[in-house]
This record gives sequence, C-alpha cells and structure tokens, in this order.
Amino acid sequence: MARTKLYTAIFVVLMVFSTTQALVEMTGLLEEAYWVAFGLIIALSTIKAVFVAGYYQHLRWEPRAVTYLALGGVFVALALTTAAAYSIL
Amino acid sequence: MSTEHDHGHDFPPMSSVKRWFVTTNHKDIGILYTITALFFLLLGGMLAMLMRVQLWEPGATILSEGAYNQAVSAHGLIMIFWFISPFAFGFANYIVPLQIGADDLAFPRLNAMSYWAYLFSGLLFIVSFFQGGTFSGGWTMYAPLNVPTYMPNIGGTTVVLALIMFVAAVTMGSVNFITTIYRMRAPGLRMRDLPMFSMSILLTVWMMLFAFAALLAALMILGAQHLVGVNYFNVDGGSLLWTHLFWFFGHPEVYIVFFPALGVMAEVFQTFTGRRLVGRKWFVLSMVLVALQSFIVWMHHMFLTGINLEIKTLFMVTTIGISLPFDLMVFSLIYTMIKGRIRYTTPFLFCLGALVLFIIGGITGVFLGAVVLDYEFRGTYWVVAHFHYVMFAGGTALIGGLYYWFPKITGKMYDEFLGKAQFALFFVGFNLLYFPMFSAWETPRRVFVYETGLAFWHKVATVGGFLLGLSVLVMLYNLFKSLAVGEEVGDNPWEYATSAEWAVSSPPPLENFPGIPDYRGGKLSFLDESDLTADGGTATDGGTAETSAATGTGTATGGALATAEQALATEVVESEPEHADHASYWPVVVCFAGFLAFLGLSGVREGGFYPWLAIAGGLLSAVGFVGLAQESFHAPEPGFAEQWPFEGVENMKLGMWTFLGSDIVLFGGFIGSYLFLRVANGWMHWHEAFIPEEHVVMPGLINTYLLLASSFAVVLALVAAERNSSRGVIASLTATWLLGVGFLVNKAIEWEHLFHIHTEAFPEGWALGTNVASSTFYLTTGLHAAHVIVGLIMLMYMIPRAMRGAYLGENQDSLEYFGLYWHFVDIVWLFLFPLFYIL
Ligand code: HEM
Ligand SMILES: [Cu+2]
Repeated sequence: MARTKLYTAIFVVLMVFSTTQALVEMTGLLEEAYWVAFGLIIALSTIKAVFVAGYYQHLRWEPRAVTYLALGGVFVALALTTAAAYSIL
Repeated sequence: MSTEHDHGHDFPPMSSVKRWFVTTNHKDIGILYTITALFFLLLGGMLAMLMRVQLWEPGATILSEGAYNQAVSAHGLIMIFWFISPFAFGFANYIVPLQIGADDLAFPRLNAMSYWAYLFSGLLFIVSFFQGGTFSGGWTMYAPLNVPTYMPNIGGTTVVLALIMFVAAVTMGSVNFITTIYRMRAPGLRMRDLPMFSMSILLTVWMMLFAFAALLAALMILGAQHLVGVNYFNVDGGSLLWTHLFWFFGHPEVYIVFFPALGVMAEVFQTFTGRRLVGRKWFVLSMVLVALQSFIVWMHHMFLTGINLEIKTLFMVTTIGISLPFDLMVFSLIYTMIKGRIRYTTPFLFCLGALVLFIIGGITGVFLGAVVLDYEFRGTYWVVAHFHYVMFAGGTALIGGLYYWFPKITGKMYDEFLGKAQFALFFVGFNLLYFPMFSAWETPRRVFVYETGLAFWHKVATVGGFLLGLSVLVMLYNLFKSLAVGEEVGDNPWEYATSAEWAVSSPPPLENFPGIPDYRGGKLSFLDESDLTADGGTATDGGTAETSAATGTGTATGGALATAEQALATEVVESEPEHADHASYWPVVVCFAGFLAFLGLSGVREGGFYPWLAIAGGLLSAVGFVGLAQESFHAPEPGFAEQWPFEGVENMKLGMWTFLGSDIVLFGGFIGSYLFLRVANGWMHWHEAFIPEEHVVMPGLINTYLLLASSFAVVLALVAAERNSSRGVIASLTATWLLGVGFLVNKAIEWEHLFHIHTEAFPEGWALGTNVASSTFYLTTGLHAAHVIVGLIMLMYMIPRAMRGAYLGENQDSLEYFGLYWHFVDIVWLFLFPLFYIL
C-alpha cells in the first residue's frame, strides 16, 4: 500500500513540474532570459524522466545492469546530438 | 518413442520443404542465413564483375552511365548489408547457443522473424531494379542526391524501405542475442569465459543495437521525405545532417562487419595452433574498448565537409586512438602462431590470409585518418582499396569460418585439396584485384572515366576480379560435392578444438545437448536431467541425426544411454506444458506481409495497384500478428543458467529493455536531427521565421497531462493485479486506453488546425512540407504518436484478456512489460513537449 501512496505522490509531482514548464513560457521568463529558462525547463524534464524510469518502470528495484543498458542508449543519443550540433557551431 | 510428437506441433524432418518455412530452431535458421547470404554474395559479385568489365579501359560504354551508377550503389549496399553481416550471423545463429550451452535462442520465433525480414528485405531490393532502376546514389546515400528531386524513380524509394526492413531484422536479432547470451549460459560459464566467437558476437550485437537505430532514424526520415514530402535533407544543413547520421552508424558498422571475423580468427588460430590465444584477456579488453570507441570516431568520414577544425582535430585523435587496441589484437594473433604448432588446414589458411590483408588495410587506413592526407585521398581509389582490404579481410576470415564449421553443420568433411586450391586462387585474385588500386589511386571513385595512363592497373585488377570470382565457384563446388560424398566426421574432427559445439555430434541433435551442460567442474560436462528437474525431455532431430557416442572427453554419458534416459524423461513429462515448440508459420507470414506493405508504399504516390498492395500487406500483417499472439508457443527459460549481471530479470523483460535501448537511440536520432537543423538555421531565428503564432503551448500541455495520467493508470493496473483485483485491472487498463485515445484526438485537432491556418505568414497553412520547422515538428511527434498507437493496439488485445481474468497475481508479467513500453513513450513526450512547444 505504501507503494501506491508513493506512486500517487510522484504523479502529483509530474503534473506540477509540467505545469511549471508551461508557466515559464507564459510568465515571459523565456523572453527575458532564454538560456536560463532553457536550462530550467530541460532540468525539469530530466527530473520527471528520472522519476518515471526509477519508480514507474521500477529501475530502482532492478539490477543496476538494466539501468546501465538504458543509460547506454541515452549516452549514444547524446553523443550524436551534441557532437553533431557542436560541429557546426 | 516418437521423436516428433512431443514438440506440440509435429515438426517435419529436414528433408521436408515445409520444415524450412516453419522452423524456429537456431540451427535451421543459421543454415538459412548462410545460404541466403551466399546467394547475395553471388548477386553482389555479379554486379562487381560488370563494373570491372566496364573499367577494363577508361570510358568504356558496356554499361550506360545510369546503369553504372546503379551497379556501384547496389553492389555496395548488397555486400555490406545483405551479404557480410548475415553471413556472420549464419554462424552466430548456429554456433553461439552451442558454445554457451543453451538449447536455442531466448526468442525462437523472433529469430525466425528476423531471418524472414532479412530475406524479404533482400527480395524487395531486387524488385527495385525493375521499378525504373534501383538506387544510384552510392552506398553512403549522400544528400541531397538521395532526395526525391534527384532520385525520382520508385526503385530509389524501394531501396530505402528495403533498408528499413533490413534494420528491423537486425534489431530483432540483436535483442535476441543479447538476451540469450546474458541469460542462458550454462551454469558455471562466466561472461569472461565466453568462447571467443560468442564474445565477438556479443560485442557485435551491442554495436548493432545502437548503431542501426541511428541508421533507422536516418532511413525513416529519408523514407518520409520520399513518401510524404517532409523537408530535411534538402534544407540548410540537410546534407551535413545526413552525413552525421549515416556515419554515426557507418563507422560502428565497419567493426560490426569485422568483429565476427575476429572471433572466427581467434577460434581458428586457437584450434590450429593448439594453443590458447596469447593475452586472451587483453584481446577481449581491446575488443570492448574498440566497441565503445567506435561511436566517437565517425567524423573522420567528414574531414572534407564544413565541420569546424576543432572537431576535426578531436576526431583525428580519437581515430588514432582506436587503431591502438587493434594493434594489440594483431600482435596477440601473431604470438599465438609463434607459440603454437601450426596445422595448415584450409580454415587456418583463410584466417592467416585475412590477418595479412587486414594489416595492409589498417595501415592504409591510418593514412586516411590524418586530416591532411585525407584531403588528397578522399573520393579516390585509395579509399576503395583501403576498405576492401579491411572489410573483405573480414569476409576472408568468414570463409575460413565456413570451412571450419562445415563439418559440424553437415557432418561431412570438405575436400582439403580443393579448399587449399581455392585459397591460393582467392588470395592471388584478391591482391591482383585490390593492390593495383593503390597504384591507380588517382582514379576518382565511383566513376568509370579515368586517365589512360592508369589503364594497365585497371586491367590487372579486372583479371584479379575474375580469379576471385572463380575461387568462389570452386568453394561452392567443393561444399556441394562434399555434402554428397564427403567423409563422415565425428564430434570433433579438429582435435584441439575446445569450445562446446565440438562436444556434441555433427550435426548436433535438435535440442543440442544430451543433458544439461555444466561448467562448474571447471570443464564442460553434461548433467543428467532427472537429477535436477523434470524440465522436459529432449529429442533428436526429426530422427535424422543420431545422438553420437561419447561426447568429447568422456565427461558425458554415452549417447545411447542418454537417448534412453531422454526417452524415459519424455515419457514422464509428456503431459507437462514445459516443452519447447519448434514450429510456427507466422513469422514468414508476417514478414511476407511486410514485404507487400513496403512494396505498396514504395509506389503509393503513383497510385495504380500500389495502394492496394499496401492495404493488402497491412491486413495480412494484422492477421499474422494476431496469429502470433494466439498461437501456443513455448520456449522455456532454462531452469539452471548463469545469468550475471541480469539475474532475476526474466528473458522477456530483458528483451523489452534491450529493445527500448535501441528505441532511445531512434528517438535520439530524430530529436538530434531537429536540434541540428535548428542550430544550422539559427536557433533563435527559428521561431520568427518558421513557426506560426497559432502554434501554442496549450495542446502540448494538455497532452502531457493526458499521457502522465495514462502512465499513472498503468501503474494502478499493476497494483490492482498484485491485489488480485480483476475489476481494478480492467478499469485501470480501460482508463489508460481512453487517455491514450484522448491524446491522439487532441493531437488530431491540433494538427488539423495548423494544417489549415490562413495567416499572412502562412497563407497556405502550416503542413508537413511547409518548412523545416513544420517537417521536424510533425515527423518527430508523429513518430511518437505512432508509438502511442502501437500501445493502444496492444491494450485492445489486453483488455479483453483482462476481462477473462488474466494478469492477476503471479501472472502480471505481460502487464509489467507493457508498462515498461508505455512509460517509455511517456518519457519521450516529456522531452518532446518542451522542445517542440516551449523552447
Ligand atoms: C586502423 C584502422 C582504420 C582507420 C584509421 C581507418 C580510417 C578511415 C578513414 C579516415 C576513412 C575515410 C576515408 C575517406 O572517405 O576519405 C575510411 C574509410 C573507410 N573505412 Fe576505414 N579505417 C580503419 C579501419 C577500417 C576497418 C577495420 C574497416 C572495416 C572492416 C574500415 C572500413 C572502411 C570503409 C568501408 C570506408 C569507406 C567508406 C566510404 O564508403 O566512404 N576501415 N577509413
Ligand atoms: Cu570510419
């Protein structure tokens, strides 16, 4: 039962974070300080993703190797994205 | 005892044609792969001969310009995709389960699907020749030549779709091998003790899993550009985007091609020098390093593009870095020869030849890896010579592997004299063909007009090419003849061969082992099943193969005894469900349907019968998938196995996670493309120039809420299942489904609106092809929506089952796997939302 409470709490956090992301745009923060807002929004998305993966996909309770597998994919995707974008900066 | 009826379905013998359409057994699939790959070798080889004839003198006209371009491109694509890796995976299918002590791969039907998808993708390629000509932009498919404006014939589109289907085959294979090697090793077989060939395959499939996902992203985008007219590779930065995506796949691909060959070389060297590989640990470590590094060197294929100097320098350094571990492997092989006592059999000769060729190829590659030198060599025959020396060195070793395992697979010995004769022809032909290309390096690549002064070298090369072709025919003759009249061989014709495939009869029985293979005693032995569990009896192959007498070192029970025991065991467990199935029609049905669907899609813009073909394919594949899901097919997980580091993660779960790993990279490729194009077109400029005011945050936010809620509902379904609440499960899954549908409806409304806006900036609406921003938006979120739709379809299968009481208590596994997928789709949206709606 305790798990259900935990899952619900996480759901609430996810909803609040998403709303916050939209608010960053609506309050005009994005206009004023684009890259600060950018960092904030991506950080929020990352935290949300970690919650979903860690608890809803219960990576927390799986052998670490499963997490490394997923992180492997993330690393590959990031390597491609960042190096490619950097190459034309 | 009937050996057939205990497989649930009656499994036909090898002599029956039906067997080959329904089989899911890894050894059968291995044979199918090998034969199909050899067929594509002949096809690609014929195209090569055409080119060599054309090159006999400069500017010959045997082939028209267009035909020559097609020959070059098709030759490259067929050899790299449809020949060399599948050839290696023929062995991988046959040998890896034997080497690790498994009775099959983890997902036998998926394995069959992978084969059929491979075969049909190749047939699709062949069809492309007859659709106004096949793809003619080179195997690297550089943009903008690859876009419909310059590649308007249907055949060009078909090749893109064929490649997509091929990638599907590869991904299914990778997931299967990764799961199998981690989860189904014989007790006592630690990861680090994996036989070298299995080790090389493991590393290969890891690279495949991620590299091919990046290629898939590139191909799907290209396919969309052909079919629905999005703008990607034709806009500012588009050509460069293609090179990034392609080479991000392409460089790992060269190791994907070469690693299985290295594994074969290591096995063959060990067997025919009678010695363990010198520095085995370092060899393995080098391979791991190379596999990792292979993902950070791709821009050495882009030294002549407009990427900045810092990154060129960086990638020159990483390229030099990656050649170091290779040196170590080469030395290890050489020392193994020095320390051992060599027996010059045909397999050994081929592997030794491969080593020599590879060294030449490696050295010439280092020239290319230096930015300054590459300015000269790029686009010349130097590159052609280099990559044939390295890639085809891999092919050479694999031919050695074919001779090496031929006796195991067929039970017959090949003709040693013919084998050696072939090697001589092959090696001489090879060097006559490719070495002159270094001398004639000033010849521009992919062009048949060259300076007359170079004609001599090209004539030599053509002669070499025909010798090489002849040698392949000698090989095929040898193998066919030996199959008929070759000497029968025992378990281990090679004396010093130590890996487990040599401890069973040749060919091995259907279920591989006369007991449970076990390494805990320090060496391989077979445990009596009844000692451990009543995990189903084993049976021999349709009555054809006899379980051999004493296997290997006397550790195993005699064959006759084992058979008798199995008969007993079978009797006892006859009625139990824990029995492996081997037959299924559905894989070939599904893949044939895929073939029809893709063929239909290729010409869908033309109308005519094409759309009907696509619809027929779609319907048939729906039937096929339902058939797959309904069929009772059982592939038991081994009761005892070494499973580090994935203990407790069931096969299906690991398979799902592995698949998701590749899906992460697929989305990474799409998102990366968007970010890249946005940088190329001015990050801040993007919104002002390309995006209408009407594109607002709200629909995205609502969809975020809907998707998060649907994820939460899946979590609740699992909680309900744990509590054995059938109604809870049904209610939660239904809620998930409704929320998912809501997501799609909301998206449809949003898209419909954007398509039809009439503003000053966008009088014609904001549709797929309007500009680069609309294309990236619709395609990336469209890929995501497609994932949602797949999930909803799965739910439509699951909800009725839940109503009949499925998924409760202990049986919640499928529910959990579905959840993993669904939450993943949710996570992707968590990033798409800010990237496409806010930032
Ligand atoms: C010492 C190791 C190696 C180095 C430093 C190296 C370097 C390079 C470089 C810099 C290029 C780009 C040349 C150009 O297009 O201007 C190239 C091309 C190529 N290399 Fe290698 N390479 C190495 C090993 C290999 C191996 C092991 C393989 C395959 C088994 C391979 C396959 C290829 C292929 C297929 C191409 C041509 C790609 C194309 O079509 O443009 N290389 N190599
Ligand atoms: Cu490379």
